[in-house]
Amino acid sequence: MKMTKIYDGSYQWIMYGRDENKPNNIIDTNQYIIRTANRCLLLDPGGIELFAPMLAAVLHHAPVEEITDLFASHQDPDIISSLGLWDQALPHAKLHAPALWEGFLRHFGCQTIEYVGIPDSGGTIELDGTELQIIPAHYLHSSANFHIYDPKAKILMSGDVGAGLEADGAPIFVDDFNAHVDRMRFFHQRWMPSNQAKRDWIDRVRKLDIDIMAPQHGRIFKGDDVKRFLDWFESLQVGIAI
Amino acid sequence: MNKPNQAKSKFVAVASIAAELSAVMQVAKEISLAAANAKAIAFRAGEKAKGFQPITDFINELAKETIELVNKINEHASSLYQMTVDEHRLAEACQYLETVYTLAEDAPYASSLDEPMELAQQRTQQCRMQFTTHVNQLLEQLEEVMHPARAARVIAANSRIEASQAGEYLQSLQAVAESVDNAAQVIHDKVQRCRSALTVINITE
Repeated sequence: MKMTKIYDGSYQWIMYGRDENKPNNIIDTNQYIIRTANRCLLLDPGGIELFAPMLAAVLHHAPVEEITDLFASHQDPDIISSLGLWDQALPHAKLHAPALWEGFLRHFGCQTIEYVGIPDSGGTIELDGTELQIIPAHYLHSSANFHIYDPKAKILMSGDVGAGLEADGAPIFVDDFNAHVDRMRFFHQRWMPSNQAKRDWIDRVRKLDIDIMAPQHGRIFKGDDVKRFLDWFESLQVGIAI
Repeated sequence: MNKPNQAKSKFVAVASIAAELSAVMQVAKEISLAAANAKAIAFRAGEKAKGFQPITDFINELAKETIELVNKINEHASSLYQMTVDEHRLAEACQYLETVYTLAEDAPYASSLDEPMELAQQRTQQCRMQFTTHVNQLLEQLEEVMHPARAARVIAANSRIEASQAGEYLQSLQAVAESVDNAAQVIHDKVQRCRSALTVINITE
């Protein structure tokens, strides 16, 4: 599992992905952690297949008792089907996930971990004095969906928005936006159901000061590529299957 | 037996018990219906079927008793299924945590995994012990269900004798006796299958 530090200030953002041992027939995912002095938050910790390499990778940065929080942007298996295993591994953790999905997510197994349901309006997660904003991203693509914005690090973890379908071992960052568009177009047109939801999210996100936009699949956007993405996404018709 | 197969056989065994019990319940309801039918015939037969009347009440009681027992067993079987799920999850977690150990060999915080690993192993052990206790209790309950089924067969034999005194009602009452006997045999066989399935799980533990 490749580890890349994407923010290194008084705390760190680390991205894990491009796992060489991942079975070929499952989609590649990016996992993120925010590591503060005494705590660690896992963002979209991944599917069951990734649990062992993911935990092994996190143990390079934090002991299990300091992995105190998990965040699931929505209910998909590649996001959080590992929940039942984290439930056994983490003695005192909370799962921040959409309140709407609680009854569904508990099917993965959630007895030890405390489920903290996020209301539709969003909320915050406090981590050793760092306040993270939970940004609503409903219907992008899931009916109850959230992203995480860190105003200090100026990072938006954007879940499936900005995702690209890549070949194994793809670079971590977008280096040529125009060339990257082809990897994103079908994914956004087919998985995102609503142009109205898309516009609402773009309006919300344009008000944020973002240096890095970090999706759950594919490459990460930096600097001006974030604005380029928002402009491109705004002009894209989604929900094309009907 | 290896672990995945063992888990699979448990799920299958517990699910098959639920299916057999549901069939037992159906048969017990049929006995109850047969008892009501027999009572009506005996009433019409009057003096000729005098000996048959208390037998119908008894058949009805046995059916009721079986239904109550099966309801209790069903509750027990449901919790046994939940235990199977819990144990499967715990055993799977232990296997994954072992893989984490291997992968995190050079990680500075690898040893922080010791406590959760130990806890997961303890929980798995507890779950297995609890499972065995519940299987034994369920076996005892299934033995209890066999009693009314055996009694029903004896009653069916008596019913045939009483039916022979019932003149023109002979055939109807004999048919009742026959259906009670068959139903009791079906219950006996199905409960026996539940017991065999549970015994297999206990042996593989």
